[in-house]
Amino acid sequence: MKTKQAGLGLLGSLALGAIGIALFGREREAFPPRRQLPDRLALPLPDQRGAERLRGLRRGDTPRSPFQRWLGLPSSPAVSRAARVRAARRLNRSAGLLATSVLLDSALEHYRGSFRNPAMYTPLGVSALSLAASLHGTGDPRSGRHPFRSALYAAAAVTGIVGTGFHIYNITRRPGGFVWQNLFYGAPLGAPMAISLAGLMGSAAEHVRDDRPGTAPRVFGLPAGRMLAAMAGGGILGTVGEAGLLHFRGAFHNPAMFLPVTMPPVAAALLLNTAAAPARRDRWLTRWWLRLTALLGFAGVGFHAYGVQRNMGGWRNWSQNVLNGPPLPAPPSFTGLALAGLAALDLLEDEPDA
Amino acid sequence: MSDDPRHAPRAGHGRAPDVFRPGAWVPMREYGEDEAVDFVIVGTGAGGGTLACKLAEHGFSVVAMDAGPYFRPLEDFASDEAEQSKLYWTDDRISTGENPIQLGSNNSGKAVGGSTVHFAMVSLRFRPEWFKSRTLLGYGFDWPLDWQEMWHYYHEVEEALKIAGPITYPWGPPRPRYPYRAHPLNAAAMALAKGCEAMGVAWTETPIATLSAPRGLAHPCVYRGFCVTGCSTNAKQSALVTWIPRAIAAGAEIRDLAMVGRVETGPDGLATGVHYHREGRWRFQKARNVVVAGYSIETPRLLLNSATARYPQGLANSSGLVGKYLMVQANQAVWGKMEAEVRSYKAPPSLAITEHWNYDDNKDFFGGYCYMSQGPLPQLWANTQINAHGLWGEPLMQEMQDYNHQVGLKIVGEMLPQERNGVTLAEDKDQYGLPVPRVSYSWCDNDKALIAHSLGFMEKALGAIDATDIWRQEDDTCHLNGGARMGGDPRTSVVDADCRSWDIRNLWICDGSVFPTVGGVNPSLTIQAIACRTGDRIKQMATRGEL
Ligand SMILES: Cc1cc2nc3c(=O)[nH]c(=O)nc-3n(C[C@H](O)[C@H](O)[C@H](O)COP(=O)(O)OP(=O)(O)OC[C@H]3O[C@@H](n4cnc5c(N)ncnc54)[C@H](O)[C@@H]3O)c2cc1C
Ligand code: SF4
Repeated sequence: MKTKQAGLGLLGSLALGAIGIALFGREREAFPPRRQLPDRLALPLPDQRGAERLRGLRRGDTPRSPFQRWLGLPSSPAVSRAARVRAARRLNRSAGLLATSVLLDSALEHYRGSFRNPAMYTPLGVSALSLAASLHGTGDPRSGRHPFRSALYAAAAVTGIVGTGFHIYNITRRPGGFVWQNLFYGAPLGAPMAISLAGLMGSAAEHVRDDRPGTAPRVFGLPAGRMLAAMAGGGILGTVGEAGLLHFRGAFHNPAMFLPVTMPPVAAALLLNTAAAPARRDRWLTRWWLRLTALLGFAGVGFHAYGVQRNMGGWRNWSQNVLNGPPLPAPPSFTGLALAGLAALDLLEDEPDA
Repeated sequence: MSDDPRHAPRAGHGRAPDVFRPGAWVPMREYGEDEAVDFVIVGTGAGGGTLACKLAEHGFSVVAMDAGPYFRPLEDFASDEAEQSKLYWTDDRISTGENPIQLGSNNSGKAVGGSTVHFAMVSLRFRPEWFKSRTLLGYGFDWPLDWQEMWHYYHEVEEALKIAGPITYPWGPPRPRYPYRAHPLNAAAMALAKGCEAMGVAWTETPIATLSAPRGLAHPCVYRGFCVTGCSTNAKQSALVTWIPRAIAAGAEIRDLAMVGRVETGPDGLATGVHYHREGRWRFQKARNVVVAGYSIETPRLLLNSATARYPQGLANSSGLVGKYLMVQANQAVWGKMEAEVRSYKAPPSLAITEHWNYDDNKDFFGGYCYMSQGPLPQLWANTQINAHGLWGEPLMQEMQDYNHQVGLKIVGEMLPQERNGVTLAEDKDQYGLPVPRVSYSWCDNDKALIAHSLGFMEKALGAIDATDIWRQEDDTCHLNGGARMGGDPRTSVVDADCRSWDIRNLWICDGSVFPTVGGVNPSLTIQAIACRTGDRIKQMATRGEL
């Protein structure tokens, strides 16, 4: 009995890592190395300008939208079809990782809350479907928006917003309302937004994939690369807020607990800079910092596993301590967002626009 | 050899139990009995355990003795109320007066770590005015301590115990952030909070000495609520798992199952050491200084029992105040039933608190009280029903069916110091052949007025959250304090601000008995803060050659 339980526990904790590795691992297979993209220079006419820019010519190829003009943003490049699909698949992948994190986290937390309200099943269903959509999208080499995936992602985005509403309601109902006690122990305010982020990233993937040759890729009417960088940066900041709140609740009793409130904010700043600043070809610092942040997300699972061990009974008492200790599935949110950031960088760097 | 810590001492042979690792030991320094140690301390609870740590860390040689066993919480503590009564001081005592105190479970412990091994962990600071309650509030006595200095030592203790408390405390002058965050409120605490909101008074999470996050080898609280019968996870930051391990690491020796029967004084009138009973016989430990820290009954008893021709009234008793002005705290409760399940026994018993009536002086009595949410364990609850309502058999079984729906509020209220309340020696002898203490207690009108006020207020608070079957538990008291009070004048106090006796300069008293007044909050944080201060003062005096 004991060993069976331990085995199940181990399987559970490995599942997340396995999914992550699967998603990571696909990269090499699915995407040829960037430098060898066959269609880079053999572009249809509108994209010729992109090729010219490669040789250091001026940008300004596609007309700027009023919004872009208002923000003083440079115009976006017209990206090749293959590059779009590659970026889209990467976004599907990061949406999938976010959805996985939400699926496991909400399953744990709502199980802990005994599914008191039937609505508590919603994030499980929606995140599972988003995960399915993301797996499908990650493996899908075709261009063009996929209607089912798009619909699922839209539903996920909405679910997060509705969930936030529920969580706010839960907090206001507790004595004291918006006080630290309830922010710490009431329904977590930031958590439902993770499913929205998964939905947004997925929707972005579908937008980017939606091929209209010769136009610049756009997400919600804005230049895709910059928009995605901003979304990933904002998402990271939100996640930092959540981790910060919970680590403050844990009194930062272990110095490692400062990592997620120091490293990812830099990544977010670099991404926001990428989104807003003038075009630059080589953003190696941003790229490396995002990779580190992605790694931190996985390392976080390890730290949290150690945190579980420090509770009475440790892993031997996993059935209580996994619920009681630091949430194992939470840290990979950082990985999902950092990967989205990397996809944004790819979009921007493939064509030397921003 | 039996491994029952109540039958054979565990500390010795150069080692003491490692409370954090099952079956393991930590190295412990030992001192010979003929070797006069700098300090021998009688009692290892909130006062003695803390002082042993401070003095050892300041480089003094220290032997700290306790009549109680050296428990290993991870192994020795069962989730069983009856079994855990092994933590209480249940030696013979006589209790008299108009309102005799029920002695044992609710006021005195017998273990390395003292009463903190089974205390409820509520860790509150005094209201600053209470240190000058005679001058500022018109009752009781002034303390010879300055509240701002105490604020500093409170902080030291809060850090040492990693107190989990609210981000902002609604009453009194600002205090630094508690080292750990408050625990989640259980349903009983939520009931208190809702009641306070309905009554328009502030409430907050109780600052409490149990971990809300891991600390070293100690686990965070698991919210099973066995706190007052001893915590088996080490989440509870008792002296046993905080000050004592530090003291040992700094070179102190702990002697368990060592009952001190007499403090010896020499021809010059100074203390020379203590006679103690261990492993079946009386022994003597030489010391340059003796600290008595046996709590408000055993401390006066030991001083009285140590009388000599030179000190016929007992040691340190030229004022005649040893054993006088004993104070308990009012511990009355109001109980009711909620429609929904409360399961109040889950989690530490007092997670939410209001100190409103400690800080509001618009009352028709002196002193104040706080009240907290409650979580009685089942056996205690059955006893409460038996005592309060005389239930037995079928009616008791019926009543216990509603155990999960019970909700209660309980005060810790300030009783006034009265000369008639105190400890004297009786004719009867205990198992060591020592005269047993006679404890006499009577409430004064002010005590009764305070109790009436609190019961009325709590009853309204429970009514406001729709509790039904509300009833008052009117007889309970808790915590002991006073009996050897501190002061600024040798004629009206036993020790000075440094816990040093006026009469014998190498005899010290460092525990709850030095309180001139009790205030309306649980006493252990103040006892530990005083011990920290005393440790620092002794070091200063030693440097200046004033010992
Ligand atoms: C059930 C319960 C709940 C409590 N809850 C709280 C709470 O929530 N908050 C709070 O602040 N306080 C609480 N208290 C009170 C607190 O525990 C005491 O005020 C505090 O521990 C007293 O410290 P002390 O050092 O004076 O005595 P103790 O901690 O009692 O230590 C005295 C020690 O001296 C030993 N001793 C006595 N005489 C001799 C002798 N002659 N020889 C050798 N050893 C001797 C005893 O065995 C004992 O271990 C609670 C107490 C109890 C019993
Ligand atoms: S509820 Fe917490 S402090 Fe109380 S006994 Fe259990 S673990 Fe210890």
